[in-house]
Amino acid sequence: MNALQRHRALTRIWSSEQGWRGWFTTVNHSDVGRMFLFAAAFFFAVGGVLAMLIRAQLATPRSAFMGPDVYNQVFTMHGTIMMFLFAIPLFEGLTVYMLPKLLGTRDLAFPRLTAYGFWCYVFGGAMLIFALLAGIAPDSGWFMYPPLSSTLGSPGINSDFWLIGITFVEISAIAAAVEITVTVLRYRAPGMSLDKMPIYAWYALVVAVMILTGFPPLILGSILLELERAFGMPFFQAAEGGDSLLWQHLFWLFGHPEVYIIFLPAAGVVSTILPVMARTTLLGYGWVVAAAVSLGVLSFGLWVHHMFTTGIPHMGLAFFSAASTLVAVPTGVQIFAWIGTLWKGSPQLRLPMLWILAFFATFVIGGLTGVMVAVVPFDWQVHDTHFVVAHLHYVLVGGFVFPMLAALYYWLPHVTGRKRFFKLGETAFWLIAIGFHVTFLAVHWVGLLGMRRRIHTYDEGQGWEVINLISSIGGFVTAVGFALVFVDIAVNAAVAIRGSRDPWKAGTLEWAMPTPPPAYNFASLPEVQNRDPLYHDPALPVRIARGEGYLGTPRGDRRETLTVSITSGRPDYLVVFPGNTALPIMMAFVTGGIFLGMLVKAYWLVPLSLVGVGALMMRWVWTLGRRDDVGPQDIGRGVALHSAAEAADPPGWWGSLFLLLADATFFGSLLFGYAFLWTVAPNWPPSSYLEPDVLGLGLVLAGAILAPLGIRLAERQVERHAAPYPGLALAAVGGMALALAACLVPLGRPAPDFHAYDATLWVIAGYALFHAALAAGMTLFLAARAWAGFVSARRCGEVRTVRLWVDYAAVTTLIGLAASYLPGALT
Amino acid sequence: MSDVLRISIPLTVWLASFSAIYGLHGLACSANWTSAAFLGLPLARAALVAAWIAAIALQLGLVFAMKSHQFGSRSLFVRWISVTLSLAALVASLWTLFPVVATSACL
Repeated sequence: MNALQRHRALTRIWSSEQGWRGWFTTVNHSDVGRMFLFAAAFFFAVGGVLAMLIRAQLATPRSAFMGPDVYNQVFTMHGTIMMFLFAIPLFEGLTVYMLPKLLGTRDLAFPRLTAYGFWCYVFGGAMLIFALLAGIAPDSGWFMYPPLSSTLGSPGINSDFWLIGITFVEISAIAAAVEITVTVLRYRAPGMSLDKMPIYAWYALVVAVMILTGFPPLILGSILLELERAFGMPFFQAAEGGDSLLWQHLFWLFGHPEVYIIFLPAAGVVSTILPVMARTTLLGYGWVVAAAVSLGVLSFGLWVHHMFTTGIPHMGLAFFSAASTLVAVPTGVQIFAWIGTLWKGSPQLRLPMLWILAFFATFVIGGLTGVMVAVVPFDWQVHDTHFVVAHLHYVLVGGFVFPMLAALYYWLPHVTGRKRFFKLGETAFWLIAIGFHVTFLAVHWVGLLGMRRRIHTYDEGQGWEVINLISSIGGFVTAVGFALVFVDIAVNAAVAIRGSRDPWKAGTLEWAMPTPPPAYNFASLPEVQNRDPLYHDPALPVRIARGEGYLGTPRGDRRETLTVSITSGRPDYLVVFPGNTALPIMMAFVTGGIFLGMLVKAYWLVPLSLVGVGALMMRWVWTLGRRDDVGPQDIGRGVALHSAAEAADPPGWWGSLFLLLADATFFGSLLFGYAFLWTVAPNWPPSSYLEPDVLGLGLVLAGAILAPLGIRLAERQVERHAAPYPGLALAAVGGMALALAACLVPLGRPAPDFHAYDATLWVIAGYALFHAALAAGMTLFLAARAWAGFVSARRCGEVRTVRLWVDYAAVTTLIGLAASYLPGALT
Repeated sequence: MSDVLRISIPLTVWLASFSAIYGLHGLACSANWTSAAFLGLPLARAALVAAWIAAIALQLGLVFAMKSHQFGSRSLFVRWISVTLSLAALVASLWTLFPVVATSACL
């Protein structure tokens, strides 16, 4: 087979469907990545228009442009859109599109999950845009503090749109995070050991794990606040044992890592592009990896620095002040590594480099004002002023948008296959860089003069008028610059001349393929021996196209790729991906029914949609796996591997593991909230605690023993070529016992709107019931799979995957119910 | 997987001890442990200092474990990263929890 025949065969196998149908059925990462990027750009434009409305309003004192009701919606939606519908999805889009290409593989670990995440993002975002157009958008600020956001401060549907729409969108983030984590760890080119991974992959891995552990507290907070708004469960109402500070803790447990979730991908982009622009390699690769990991974890210890003015004792303030200053160290390590890289190379001042220099200047200023607000007495002075607004824009625009513009111009030739011709981008750069600093230096200044954030207008004579006018002029200059970027991209993508394959002379694998990239990425998978393979082997692209790597001979209609062992990058298993399907969009649509039912209070739609999601999930999983043992299959270069269906740890096991990490963080946040209310909230203790009873304790103990025991018995039966049904039956009975024990918790208690304690019991019981029922359901589904021939001694990975879920349900139900009974047992 | 754990555990242990000591601080203040004494120190202070010392000891143990042949990685890169991150976590424990001996407990 020659290169052209190989290209045609692989294109037929990997391409999306022709015509409009292809948009809705594609699961290819390049397609879905581009769709993510376009959607994120659209939301950025919407958020940008809202920013201009804000600057128009504040340009003059006593402005009648907007009333307070509209202004509240506009600034809330500006922040919400930029954080949730632009920044995170842009990272997802860039990573979905680029990661497999950087890693030398053909797609992400779970292609259908990529598409499902995208559609959840679009549907959730559409809910919020509808609210904006209908004039019923959220209006309590992007961090939605109760009681402003509870029914007391926001009795309409506005806050519901935020709580429900954003939670829907967050499914997309969690899905992408699972996807990215498993892909980086297992789906790399053979030979790509951890020390040979492209630096962006390290950043993507850190960010993905941060999303898995950072988003669940916000999802929990949103659920609790929506339960309070819909059913009166008083988690945040002090009179009934709740505490509005609980929301602040949950929100900022997410919110501060979120800042680094946004910054770290940008740092990954800088670490990738800067060495290419400087014609050298990254200085201190290991130090940069260590700094990225440190920053990722340290960022979880900073959340209270957003709450310095809430009356926390001095020692608590000092903990978080110290942690806040500490993050400057790994940030500094990265910045010095970048400066060192520039020093050892020969920098070229091309457009991506201009954006990186703008990033340096802006982000360092933002970082320094960050250290200023980390110091408690200073923070007390500037809290809730425009100084903080300016600081966060320096960090987020300087630390994210500017590097992403560098990424846009760096990888644009890869996406379009064209050489940028018109030079509008340089004009746009100067407009944005100058406009931005004019805008936000002025905002710093007016903040130091005492102008509070979120006020819709101000009186004359406070010394703010001229500064605000200058700031607004700067804002509009910035907006013109961004509009020029859009024009530049459209014009160059449409009419610029064809470019060369590797216009920047970079060394990473994404430049080892034709541009624009084919649907399959690599005609054969390369064997990687260096961190910058193209520097050491310039002929690699030709050898890949000739099929001299792995999987160079297409087999039927199978979308094949490889997994590797985590540390060494040794080829592990042969993976066959599913093809194009409408299942992801259908499932996202039905998932939307759950959220829509909650939003419009058509509660009958919620269980109906849950059943629909369950049915579609079964359909989703049923198409995976094999009914026969195939044994090792040739992957080229004299190597034969088992298929992933015959792996002890198949991709589904890894995906489940990281999804359960997010789930465990959610559960941990719930226990934290319970402990917080118990120890800190006013109006505790409640009139009575739940009394431990023999039946409940007996059921939970029996379930926690039987379910894990049963699934292990089934695993052993499968390994011994016996039928697994007795073990599975035991596991299902154990799961049902756990579910029954959870149902007993709220029985005989006051209604959940009586006290925050009872509301918490309902949520813990609901959580346990859901997981126990899920474990029992998965066990029964596994029995059906075994009956249909999908399970054998060699294909026992599915049993191990279900074992994860059963063990998790047993442990969390045991802990959750123990926590429920604990206060009653202690008193 | 064990190499991923070697890289992720040191700072995760810092985060867990940092959160636990912050939680202990909240508990000590809400339960009024400042009015009781232990070895001449207010009970709140004594408990927090003891927890800090335990956290430092744990981090020191991790540094030695990551350097050891028994628990350290066979990959030179992972070994270097895990030792570096263990040291970073040790410094983080010393610096971020230093307030337990430097500031008032419950004011």
